[in-house]
Amino acid sequence: MTSARNHGAGDAGEIRSEGGFSPRIAAFLCKWCSYTGADLAGTSRLQYPVSIIPIQVMCSSRVDPVFLIQAFLSGADGVLVGGCHPGDCHYETGNYHARRRFAIVREVFDSMGLESARLRLSWISASEGPKFAQVAAEYTSRIREAGPNPTRRSLFL
Amino acid sequence: MNSIVSRLDASAAVRELLGWLLGEGRTDAVLTPRRLPEDGSCDLALLTAPEGLDRAEPLLPVMTTNAGQALSHLSLSGRRLTAVLKPCELRAFTERVKREQGSFERLLTVSFVCGGVFPLGRVLSDGPDTLAAAALEAARRGETPAGVRETCAACEHFVPTNADVLVSSGEDGCRIHLCTPRAEEALEGFGGERVDTAPDPAGIERVLAARSAARAELYRALPVEGGLDGLIDLFGRCVGCHGCSRVCPICYCLLCDFESAGLEGDLPRFRAALDERGGLRLPSGTILFHLGRMTHMSFSCVGCGMCSDACPAGIPVAAVFGRTGGRTAALFDYVPGRDAEEPVPVTVFREEELDDIG
Amino acid sequence: MTGDPGSGGAAFLLPVGEGPDGAILGLLAGALESGAVDALLLPVPLPAGDSFAWILTRDPAVAAGGRPLPPVMPVQGARALRDLTRKGESDVRILALMRPCEIRAARELAKLGQVRTDGLLLASWDCPGALCSKDHVADPDGAGRRFAGMIAAGSPDAGGGVRSSCPGCVDFSMTDADVHFGLLGEQDGALPVMAGSPAGRTLLGSLGLTPAAGTARWKLRAEMERERRETSRRAADEAAGSKLRGAEGLLSFFSACIGCRICRAVCPICHCRLCHFDSETPRPDPDAFFDGAELRGGASLPANRLLFHVGRMTHMSLSCVSCGQCSDACPAGIPVADAFGFVGRAAREAFGYEAGRGDGIPHPLRTWRRIEPDGIGGLVRDAEPGACAHE
Repeated sequence: MTSARNHGAGDAGEIRSEGGFSPRIAAFLCKWCSYTGADLAGTSRLQYPVSIIPIQVMCSSRVDPVFLIQAFLSGADGVLVGGCHPGDCHYETGNYHARRRFAIVREVFDSMGLESARLRLSWISASEGPKFAQVAAEYTSRIREAGPNPTRRSLFL
Repeated sequence: MNSIVSRLDASAAVRELLGWLLGEGRTDAVLTPRRLPEDGSCDLALLTAPEGLDRAEPLLPVMTTNAGQALSHLSLSGRRLTAVLKPCELRAFTERVKREQGSFERLLTVSFVCGGVFPLGRVLSDGPDTLAAAALEAARRGETPAGVRETCAACEHFVPTNADVLVSSGEDGCRIHLCTPRAEEALEGFGGERVDTAPDPAGIERVLAARSAARAELYRALPVEGGLDGLIDLFGRCVGCHGCSRVCPICYCLLCDFESAGLEGDLPRFRAALDERGGLRLPSGTILFHLGRMTHMSFSCVGCGMCSDACPAGIPVAAVFGRTGGRTAALFDYVPGRDAEEPVPVTVFREEELDDIG
Repeated sequence: MTGDPGSGGAAFLLPVGEGPDGAILGLLAGALESGAVDALLLPVPLPAGDSFAWILTRDPAVAAGGRPLPPVMPVQGARALRDLTRKGESDVRILALMRPCEIRAARELAKLGQVRTDGLLLASWDCPGALCSKDHVADPDGAGRRFAGMIAAGSPDAGGGVRSSCPGCVDFSMTDADVHFGLLGEQDGALPVMAGSPAGRTLLGSLGLTPAAGTARWKLRAEMERERRETSRRAADEAAGSKLRGAEGLLSFFSACIGCRICRAVCPICHCRLCHFDSETPRPDPDAFFDGAELRGGASLPANRLLFHVGRMTHMSLSCVSCGQCSDACPAGIPVADAFGFVGRAAREAFGYEAGRGDGIPHPLRTWRRIEPDGIGGLVRDAEPGACAHE
């Protein structure tokens, strides 16, 4: 009998394909740069994995670290924050703050032995369609290797 | 520095000092711990007349509330205030001032080399008088009393750096060190013999070594290497009362994110959890609350230990937050409460930093 | 009324086997597997074994790890129901197993619009009391053994370290649950399980249990226990009443309070997202606070702790079910439940109100009568002679 600690209802939400499961990655993308970059990847017909679930925010600084934690605890296999390159933020300094906040939440995870590799921040500009596709593919592959997030199965979170 | 010699024990000396300040009109009110003998309890008192000081116990080794928290609102009045603060309370207050939740403008701070405070359970079982005597005895020997809060036994910041007045104990009474021009001015004419001295470095080194060892051991014993399982072992029995946040001197938000409607559970979320993982825990969001609070405030944690003491489930919140807080603060070379001019790390940035991110 | 099966009117026998925990788990599993209900809400031990969490599940394997009769009550079950249904009734049919005081709190919350009972089936059991949570954390095995003794005896007196509100609890048995497990009626290897409502009767009827010939033994033992508890309650209320006399009494009772509000946070009845006593309204203006301190020579901090307690009494004590969460959780060791229980009972008597019933009678502060019961009218008359002359 499976222990109460790690038990789930089954494979709901996992789409088995050859080579492993299909990860779900929550991606908080800033409207002015990274979300537009993702759009560009789409209109350029660049292939990138379906694992990315985009959530538009006005600026990467809108992303409270709690969003990342909530996505992680809810079972997202990975969480991505996309923002403008340092110096190019539409609101001038937002992404600098986002960078500090990301550093904090990553450190909190590391200090508690949680998989901080499931959290990632990338600078992707509006014109960087290929970069978006590349980050998406690379990150998906890394998450696929890491396997499904164990929070999916955890009863007591 | 210019120091006043007193034959009294530190608590009595500070009591005398507070009475003098009130009597001479050098201050409008004093903030100090107080014993309530008829009830066997104690509180934090704001006193406006010397007559009220007979039950005052400035160095009472008890923290019913973090005085830095109580002081934040009071310090915004137009009155001159003298506050007796343990080092962590002063550091907490400094953190609040940075967040525009308090002011040093009309405040004289009196702090001391701190042996720690006893848990509230000990106040209940032993009474404040017994505890005060135990602390005095330990201070005379230059030691930390046995049975103080585990974060006190592990506290390396027991010598305050920003107080106007700093009191250190010795075998023959105590020394009242005047650390700032404000202190010199306020205490002009007070007391007897003055000498040029500072807290004994050798004694402090000895205590510091013991505290550092205790800190290492305290952190080593936490189940923080066990990933999710360790997290559930640590916080699993949390009942979601948010008492830790409420007694925390740093957490000041009137409406906390984790009490807002947006983070409440609702049927769609519950049903999704039922489908995905076969079950969910109610009330929801207890683990989220702790990890979230860590990201919001851990770098400002001053290790006072109110959270652990308040926790109805006996979770070692203070040890966990202190440990993680040390790491999040270190990301920015930040030390909470060290300097009122040092900005809170999330309010500033450097253009070149954290280059492994992004 | 305690001791009577309610409108369901049916009683069945549940074979006890190795013990009541296993037997009740079996019945819950049967209800789930048969599709009579979609999900169960029950306590499940944490992996560390030091406490329990409310788990809502539709997985029989998860439910099989549950502990239907936990020695402690770390979270009042009505809080879990509040979290679950305050934003809308559950469309998942849930069978929730809780202590009688948790169900009574849920009934009160339903009257306050904070719990929606549609889709919920509430099941209770004869409760011998709950142990102090911190004792259980320190020594789960020892606490478990003491509690087993209490279950066998049906009484809080059989174990040490029980909450102070438990020995005086007269509502420890059946009130307005849909299903009730009559542990006190165990006889010849079976215990009676009774329906308290038509829905409960339907559920029990579908599980293939043997009907009980009667519930005489259960009624007798419950009544005997009830008399014992009544005696304890009178003594406790008398003690509380004399301690709480006058301003000095109140101040002394709450003198150790640190103003943490944990009593309110764990209380199932207190549901306000922003409590009045945390709002700007009673927050002292610093200069005004100093003025007040000057008048009295001093002030105690944090401010307004007694206001909070007396205020909370006026706001919620009518609904207090004496579960004892407040005392259990208080970091300063104040027996808050003794005060609130005492005041609540006195207030309810004045209004002629019973807390925790699924009776459709509105909460006294949500309604009014032109001519109030003597208890209220008397108070008004004494305060203002002639006030009730115009009618």
